[in-house]
Amino acid sequence: MNAIQGLRPEKLRELVLLILIALVLIVFSSVIENYLNARLFNRVSASVALMAVLAIGQTMVVLTRNIDLSVGSIVGFTAYFVGHQLSQYGDMHPMLAIFLAVGVGTLMGGINGILVAYCRIPSIIVTLGTMALYRTLLVEYSDAKTVLTVNLPRWLLDLPSLNLISFDRLHLRVLVVGMIVVVILFQIVLKYTSFGRKLYAIGSNPEAAKMAGFANQRMVLTAFLLCGALAGLTGFMFLARFGNITVVAGIGFELKSVAAVVVGGVNIFGGSGSAFGAFLGAVLIDLLENSLIRWLQISEFWRDALLGLLILISVATDSVIMKRFQLYWARKQARSSPET
Amino acid sequence: MTQALKEMSLELFSGEIHALVGENGAGKSTLIKILTGIHKPDDGEMMFSGNGVQMNSSQEAQALGIAAIYQEPMVFPDLDVAENIFISHRKRGIWVQWEKMYDDAHKILSDLGMILDVRAPASGLTLASQQAVEIAKAISLNVKVLIMDEPTASLSNHEVEQLFKVARKLKQENVAVLFISHRLDEVFEIADRITVLRDGEHISTRSVEEFSREQLIREMVGREVDQFYATRQKKKLGKRVLSVKKLSKEAAFTGIEFDLHQGEVLGFAGLVGSRRTDVGLALFGIHPNDSGVIELDGQKVSIRSPKAAQNLGIAYMTEDRRKLGLAMPLSITSNITLPSLKRYLGRFGLVRTESEKSTAEEFKNRLHIKTPNLAHEVGKLSGGNQQKVMFSKWLNTQPKVFILDEPTRGIDVGAKAEVHNMIRELADQGMAILCISSDLPEVLAMSDRVLVMREGRQMGILDGPQATQESIMSLAMGELQESA
Repeated sequence: MNAIQGLRPEKLRELVLLILIALVLIVFSSVIENYLNARLFNRVSASVALMAVLAIGQTMVVLTRNIDLSVGSIVGFTAYFVGHQLSQYGDMHPMLAIFLAVGVGTLMGGINGILVAYCRIPSIIVTLGTMALYRTLLVEYSDAKTVLTVNLPRWLLDLPSLNLISFDRLHLRVLVVGMIVVVILFQIVLKYTSFGRKLYAIGSNPEAAKMAGFANQRMVLTAFLLCGALAGLTGFMFLARFGNITVVAGIGFELKSVAAVVVGGVNIFGGSGSAFGAFLGAVLIDLLENSLIRWLQISEFWRDALLGLLILISVATDSVIMKRFQLYWARKQARSSPET
Repeated sequence: MTQALKEMSLELFSGEIHALVGENGAGKSTLIKILTGIHKPDDGEMMFSGNGVQMNSSQEAQALGIAAIYQEPMVFPDLDVAENIFISHRKRGIWVQWEKMYDDAHKILSDLGMILDVRAPASGLTLASQQAVEIAKAISLNVKVLIMDEPTASLSNHEVEQLFKVARKLKQENVAVLFISHRLDEVFEIADRITVLRDGEHISTRSVEEFSREQLIREMVGREVDQFYATRQKKKLGKRVLSVKKLSKEAAFTGIEFDLHQGEVLGFAGLVGSRRTDVGLALFGIHPNDSGVIELDGQKVSIRSPKAAQNLGIAYMTEDRRKLGLAMPLSITSNITLPSLKRYLGRFGLVRTESEKSTAEEFKNRLHIKTPNLAHEVGKLSGGNQQKVMFSKWLNTQPKVFILDEPTRGIDVGAKAEVHNMIRELADQGMAILCISSDLPEVLAMSDRVLVMREGRQMGILDGPQATQESIMSLAMGELQESA
């Protein structure tokens, strides 16, 4: 019992996820020939790179008891917008392109945040609306044309295959490293800064947070700004990875990011969860998807069903685990307090 | 609007425990909200350590060193104990130093004599431990005035002792403690001075030695005997309709026993937290009892749902119009016929609106509901008229037993008198009425007998002349064990 003494629910969840990921690897390597190879790693990591960054943005929002359904449209819009700019001004500095993507995303997140925090409209309504609005903005702006790989600058096209470190055929690519930096950065922000802890506090008990004198509204706005910024960054990564950007870019990312967050143990009612958990959630989802496709050749619809199932299972187990956990703490406390 | 507080004066000294007592609605909560900066007073001034202060928010009160803990602690359930203690600290920098925080939290708690795992999430703590966390938080913020608002209401005896130890310790450290409780024993045990409030006014402040219990109760209730008193007369009661024996529900009430006769009004009196409403909810099947016997017309019945209760001829009028009572956006007519809609169904199961309307018309005239027309949205009526609609709605189910929960809450004096007349009329017609009310003069005026509850227990049933404001309050505050 002592081993799990210092464990918070989110730590326990991370542990469970690691075990699950290992289980998936073991199970599939026994049914698929030559499953564990460099290609699997490269493929899954390339896809997780995008989803994990997006999911961490989503995590910030979900921690405050909100949700952002517009992230898919933000990804699509920034990808197209930056791609369009780059195909016109090919000599733009790479850093400027990234700043542009993050800036546009932040702006869109800011609109969400202001509507939610200051106009007091429920986030699910606001972001359902902006999801459609941002998407339509993309359609209008693009005039239904496509950003083509041939028009993009060389450095961008080389980015996804740029390796920082390689072990044999196992490549640690620059986008993946970027994602790892984001994960570590936000893990630190959430765990070790007073801003991060207040984010948990607000989601955990908004009333008490107000009494404690926190600027709840500003905190919620900040969460949406960060989510938008990370969605913008994801948009840039999306552009780098795929090159050809159409008006449907990023559709479905909102659901997938929520799935990663929830599977990663972030409480959909706010107050608990971690950046690392969201990352693990993204890994598990992508790994399962990739493996199932290779094993059963399942269709895209089945992938959606799988996502849905994973969300249901993790929310259900969440409430069961939490109850167990609380019972455990209560008992422990009862034992340690002196009897009369 | 009625005034919640009138020319209230209160002096708190450092190093004293000052008890604040008063019955429901005496103005204690309002006073606390003003002291903690949640509400602003319309008039008057506040001095803190000799300086005049104005507080515009709870943060400003905290900055001065005024903190409050409540019966239901305001913790962050997902954060651990140490974080809960330190989350409001501004001067600890941007970075969280976890180990230092755990050490500091441990030190504060052990100074208080509390043993708690500082790494445990607050959600798993008992209420008493959560309160300890709140107190530790207040101390760490250098509290000078600590307000304890009915902190003992949900604690066990042992936990109350623990809390008192902490309170005495704070007193030694020159903190001023304002202690609010409905338990007289506790007040006399812990307080140095006592202030009595009644109807929003300051009645008296004296040291605890200068108060006798009888005098304290007298000052709490001692208002003029009002006109309703005279109209109460001894009636001959009809046959027994409802009989309840050893009715209990875990974590709510236990050992409730009474008989209710035709034409009788049985008053339910008690202070906040006496669990009277829970008895009503159990009899109406919303939160059914765990054990005990309910007999209706001599037949043993089991009431597991509101539907079952209605079929047996029981109606319950809630104290919470907005949440449980009325469908605010619907019309008066729809609200009145809602529980008995079955009677209005015609061919193909469609509602016969004509007969609905005539029913509504009938009640409008009978209860004097003031409205331009019956299609009017209920949410737009005055409180008194809403109450009448709620009355109509349940009368229309033609109940044998009518449970009224705070029938005159939030309505004006005129409407109040009308409601009182209505209750009397119904009883005269032979209905058995159970009337839960926090308004002592009302209980006395309406009831043939008064059942007094305290913290989920039945303290006694007072009959006719035995029932006075003083005798009810004594029982409600746990003074007498059982009346004759």
